[in-house]
Amino acid sequence: MTTIVGIKTNDGVVLGSDKRASKGFFIGSKIVQKIARIDDTIAVAIAGQLSDAEYIIKVAKAERRLVELRRGFALTVRESARLIANIAYSGLRNYQPYYVELLVAGVDHEGSHVYAADMSGAITEEDFASSGSGSPIAYGVLESLYNKEITNQQAKEIASRAVAAAMERDPGSGNGIDLLAIPNMIQEVRA
Amino acid sequence: MSESSPNFSNRFPFYGPQGRLVLVDSALEAVSRGSTTIGIKTPKFAIISSQIKPTHPLIEPSEKIFSIDFHAGATGSGYIGDILQLIDALRLEAQRHRLTYETSIDIDSLAKHLSTFLHNYTTYAVRPQAASMILAGADQTGIQLYQVDPSGTFFRGSGFAIGQSSEIALDVMTKEYRTDMTQEEAIELGEKAIEKALGEKPIVETGVVTQNSFRKLPLEKTWSITPY
Repeated sequence: MTTIVGIKTNDGVVLGSDKRASKGFFIGSKIVQKIARIDDTIAVAIAGQLSDAEYIIKVAKAERRLVELRRGFALTVRESARLIANIAYSGLRNYQPYYVELLVAGVDHEGSHVYAADMSGAITEEDFASSGSGSPIAYGVLESLYNKEITNQQAKEIASRAVAAAMERDPGSGNGIDLLAIPNMIQEVRA
Repeated sequence: MSESSPNFSNRFPFYGPQGRLVLVDSALEAVSRGSTTIGIKTPKFAIISSQIKPTHPLIEPSEKIFSIDFHAGATGSGYIGDILQLIDALRLEAQRHRLTYETSIDIDSLAKHLSTFLHNYTTYAVRPQAASMILAGADQTGIQLYQVDPSGTFFRGSGFAIGQSSEIALDVMTKEYRTDMTQEEAIELGEKAIEKALGEKPIVETGVVTQNSFRKLPLEKTWSITPY
């Protein structure tokens, strides 16, 4: 259940999600937060078991903070995605998989990035990505509206349309849209 | 706790009467008899050089400059067995970081890991490692050079000397160091510093760190009849 989308833009990244939590055929919550900020430069959109996702994010948050304190500069988005994927993979190998599919999106000195990480422990870098039961519908919208030369403002519009379309036809998604845009301040300072 | 017996001889000697860690002091003493070893850093590159002690015409001397990963190298002074052990700990940590984050480890984290590793040997009834290490590498923060001592103390800097007569070597380097040195000048300065410290022309092994790689320089095999 759920629809989440992540879009990489010229000036940052945008995450979007619906707000429905399903309990079988029952709507368990209509105001669930599926986008979690890890810090000012990176955030995760959650599809799947919320408790598993919360745990992984909690560990990733702590690890990111520790590494930044120890080495003096933060983990890149790719390093963070790999860390999260490793946690997921260790779960899979122990026959207790974390039932999640996460979109890890953020900005670092290399630019903006969107990674898709699932319970298998694989990560793929994408220009845009979607996950959850509504993702086939969301992908239809993303495929037709996305291009590489968009701004965060335009991506917010596309993300919200993609999630809205999914909410129209996917019974697992609904009850409103959450959006988060992370601007790439690092790039702005340099330019 | 409040035992006030001034007799230290029956107990395991962690602290001496002066409040110093005698085992660590002994390790440092061993290092000060090791081969003279230096590191020099400029904003563009770093070099590490170590004296190779000639052994016997039939015996190949031990390697002294070690690659830790593509972007980092290390050398040391003290007992070679201890040095090798520490090199392995560094290599392991570098690869562990690659597995966890899929990127090359930064030199500060390497130095801190080595520091923690060495510090462990100062807190239990074991022999501290008789080796000081010099690490050089390139990471997101630029070229980095570190010295790590048996106590776990570590320093970041532009020039280090450890081993036999290291004060003399460091003196030479301090006087002639320039940030705009070329690689050749730095290697020459390193050799000169080691030569001054030993009072004779040494055989020196050298490694160089540039923007993104560490490499060992080929050694002219002047010391032996290569037996193979």
